[in-house]
Amino acid sequence: MRLHGGRPVSDSDRVRKTSKQPEGTERKEPDPTEADRESATGAAREPDRKPESERDAISVDEEKDDARKIVTGQARYTADYRDRFPDLAHGRVVRSDIAHGYVESVDTSAAEAMDGVDAVITPFDDVVPDKLYSSSGQSYPEPSPWDLKVLREHVRFVGDPVAAVAADDPETADRAARKIEVEYRELDAVFDPEEAFGEDAPQLFEADDVENKQSGADYSQNLESHFEGELGDVDAEFEQASDDEERYVIETEWETPYQSHCVPEPHTTIAYTDEDDRHTFITATQVPFHTRRQIAHLFDVPIRNVRVKKPRIGAGFGSKQEMAIEPITFALHLAADRPVKLEMSRQEEFTALRFRHPMQMQMRTAVTDDGDIEAMDLYTLSNSGAYGTHGMTVANNVGTKPLPLYPRVPNVRFSGDVVHTNLPMGAAMRGYGAPQGHFAVEAHMDEVARHLGFDPIEFRLQNAVREGDLDRSVAILKDGDRFTREIRSCGIRECVDRGKEAIGYDGIEQPDEDHRKRGVGMALIAQGSGVAGKELGAAQVQMNEDGSFHLQVGGVDTGTGADTMFSQIAAEVLGCTPEDVVVIAADTDLTPFDYGAYASSTTYISGRAVKNAAEDAKERLLEWGSKLIDEPPEALDTGDGGVYSERTDDSVSLEEIGYEATYGDDEREHILGDGNHSTDESPPPYGAQFVDVTVDTETGEYELNKLVFAADCGVAINPALVEGQIEGGEHMSLEYATSGDLTFDEEGNPEVLGFRQYGMPRTTDHPEMETVLVETHEPTGPFGAKSIAELPTNGVPPALSNAIRDAVGVRLTELPFTAEDLKAALDERSADDG
Amino acid sequence: MPKTGGNAVDIELTINGERTTVEAGSADDLATVLRQHGYIGVKCGCDGGTCGASKVFIDGEVRMACGMAATDADGSEIRTVAALGTQADLHPVQQAFVDNFAVQCGFCIPGMVIQAVALLDSNPDPTEQEVREALDDNVCRCTGYQKPVEAVLDAAGRMQGEQSVAADGGRPVTVPPHGDESTSCCGGGCDE
Ligand code: FES
Ligand code: FES
Repeated sequence: MRLHGGRPVSDSDRVRKTSKQPEGTERKEPDPTEADRESATGAAREPDRKPESERDAISVDEEKDDARKIVTGQARYTADYRDRFPDLAHGRVVRSDIAHGYVESVDTSAAEAMDGVDAVITPFDDVVPDKLYSSSGQSYPEPSPWDLKVLREHVRFVGDPVAAVAADDPETADRAARKIEVEYRELDAVFDPEEAFGEDAPQLFEADDVENKQSGADYSQNLESHFEGELGDVDAEFEQASDDEERYVIETEWETPYQSHCVPEPHTTIAYTDEDDRHTFITATQVPFHTRRQIAHLFDVPIRNVRVKKPRIGAGFGSKQEMAIEPITFALHLAADRPVKLEMSRQEEFTALRFRHPMQMQMRTAVTDDGDIEAMDLYTLSNSGAYGTHGMTVANNVGTKPLPLYPRVPNVRFSGDVVHTNLPMGAAMRGYGAPQGHFAVEAHMDEVARHLGFDPIEFRLQNAVREGDLDRSVAILKDGDRFTREIRSCGIRECVDRGKEAIGYDGIEQPDEDHRKRGVGMALIAQGSGVAGKELGAAQVQMNEDGSFHLQVGGVDTGTGADTMFSQIAAEVLGCTPEDVVVIAADTDLTPFDYGAYASSTTYISGRAVKNAAEDAKERLLEWGSKLIDEPPEALDTGDGGVYSERTDDSVSLEEIGYEATYGDDEREHILGDGNHSTDESPPPYGAQFVDVTVDTETGEYELNKLVFAADCGVAINPALVEGQIEGGEHMSLEYATSGDLTFDEEGNPEVLGFRQYGMPRTTDHPEMETVLVETHEPTGPFGAKSIAELPTNGVPPALSNAIRDAVGVRLTELPFTAEDLKAALDERSADDG
Repeated sequence: MPKTGGNAVDIELTINGERTTVEAGSADDLATVLRQHGYIGVKCGCDGGTCGASKVFIDGEVRMACGMAATDADGSEIRTVAALGTQADLHPVQQAFVDNFAVQCGFCIPGMVIQAVALLDSNPDPTEQEVREALDDNVCRCTGYQKPVEAVLDAAGRMQGEQSVAADGGRPVTVPPHGDESTSCCGGGCDE
């Protein structure tokens, strides 16, 4: 463990928000029913808590609705729509090959003279808006600076787009792009975030290069944002602790690299304008509605004239929570006056698109010798790269996701600086700051426990969150206390118990050879369910005559199975099977609004909107059922494909209701239901990650024997899909811990250009994985559900660091852990011992 | 994003049982040409030869279609994932992928299914390690490989089961492991 001086973070002019909660402040008691104002009442209100025996369509492994289409190769992703456009042109982007400078001139004449070239665009063309925007797919106005232009005259990293072409075929587009000559005036560049942070470093942005600046920004020192929040009095506590023999102050440092999403389907967009002069995008996006708004603002067209459709998408993981390529595609389309498809290459994905932010973190705690944590202080320096998309908000989550694992700690400070360098831009990536934060917090806590001579798991459970706790640290950076949350569901202790059992915590056998040592490590994990106070989901249910339903929902299935989950929630309310629910999703012309698939919001927010819509329709079903079986609606319920009376056992099928409601003699009605959901709540799902490792002390090589992840995501609507989320999340987390990294030469040129150079784990790199689901009931979630998608991306780095510490007694603090690092740490220790 | 271009020539291919003449540039790779002709079950997830998404059978051998010049495929017999089964009548490997929830975004799945079918053809009873080795150049970002590996093992069991029915004197199930070129989903007309 390294100790250090720590960066002073108390300059008051840069303080974003210091929220001190005085002693005795009244606990906020959020009302779980407040969120349900929109939903149905009376008999149509579906109980949220159902014993397993009463669940029909939920808590079952319903077949994923697109699985057959996928295994037969018939699922259509964006690029597969090319056959719908006989006159489709193909785009190609020309990118900066210097890290910092100005475009002096662009010579497009050779490209334009080529046969088959339909358009060439540069920053100087009218069709390219000269406006600042943020590509972050966030609510309006985005909590990210507006610092991008569609094509860039001022280039800030190797890979910045400076021009683009559209041609009749991809090959011509490629050749034309290579004929474009760009002259640059080079500027000094800076690649190290610590060097970049200050007045003397090369400056990436002048103050007026950015609009919608974020809190604490100071572009004269490349600072995109500084933030800080405090509960209690951290400095006073540290001061007292350092004079007290019964208290300890422990401080650690941690460092994380760039990580690529390795998104399976590269970013792809088709843009065209239809016969009604409406601009349509078929695009691989997680955020159709945000993209629609952003395109409308950027190109100054009415929102109603933009349509964004998400077909099947080859996953997103945050890389598609971005309007990353839609503006270039649209500008090419306007210039070429025909439909344009732009598809990124894998090299562009690895060099020019979006990444997980590299960070350096410091964690400090004061603890008593009986293992109570009295103060926590976490600082992060985030390398935002060249632009600020999601810069501040990702860094915020470094603290606000893991610190709430310990909500009873009285003194907490969390602060950070987000700094620009001439490297590719960080952005949203599954976990969203939480993987970095959990590495710092959970490896730190393990170190503290060992320092005190406590069992690392017992130490953490002594301090860890419990049901009924009031969590203020989640709101440490926010204004007001409305985001302080009461923990209403928490299965973290059962996760630990069952995880321990699954990994065989108490019976680990050491290998026979002396130079091989085995150890087990654990990390506690928390995430959120949507962005508290910044989410909106909506849905509509329409009944068909045959008793089936169409469900229109804005929520975005990125491959996770969200559409299947929606159909299960709707079916559980309507009393039909999930197959009776046709899901129409994520098309801004056809479906209600949704913020999109990010922040683990889809089940909790969009799923709740679906439940509300279905309950609204159910009210009408009961009304019609009441007419047909002559009993009051309050006596009726839905189930088994019909409406039935519990008193008399009379029933009428949904099909009979459908025909009667549509074609009846006296009255007619199209049975519809609508539902909205928005809330200030974001209940955390919890998990415990276990890693079993064997280290070779001669070489520093290590081998993972097994991963166990135990998760509390509330009620799992579809347990098999939940397991898939956990296994996939652990895969990314395994990569983060062991092999994922991007490197650059001293001029900022990327050295990782494809899968060949990048350490993405293959089938044979994966150890055995065991997944445990611990059910709790979250009263604010649909049928008790919380989120799952991001939770499992957080655990392997701290758990593996802890396992290695357990096995051989040295601490690794920089990701990814290499055999060389481990060998060096072992050698250093022997030198110290010697 | 695979490579394209060069002077156009006509090549003869049998794709999923159907003979066809297609135009291909001398520098076009086979994946691009197949996709241009509507065989969208051939996916492209890398700049050539590193992700496994473009795997197809060429004359019975698994190849990454992006790594082969289309003109080199002249005269060959190509089978894509679409030839293995239909949504209503899946190949046992496809069925096992569906039943084991091995499919998330699905972008890698056609390549995985092709590779799995080839494995079980040559090794009907693989160990987990053998399955992992066979799928090692099929990258998947969504599943952690756990459920795809389970699916292949499950498919092996199912296909063995079928064979044992036949060995017991029952009616052999006519699911070609691969290679029965005359069998496409509906004679080829509806392909992909
Ligand atoms: S596109 Fe062929 S292997 Fe990736
Ligand atoms: S299922 Fe998405 S890449 Fe494999």
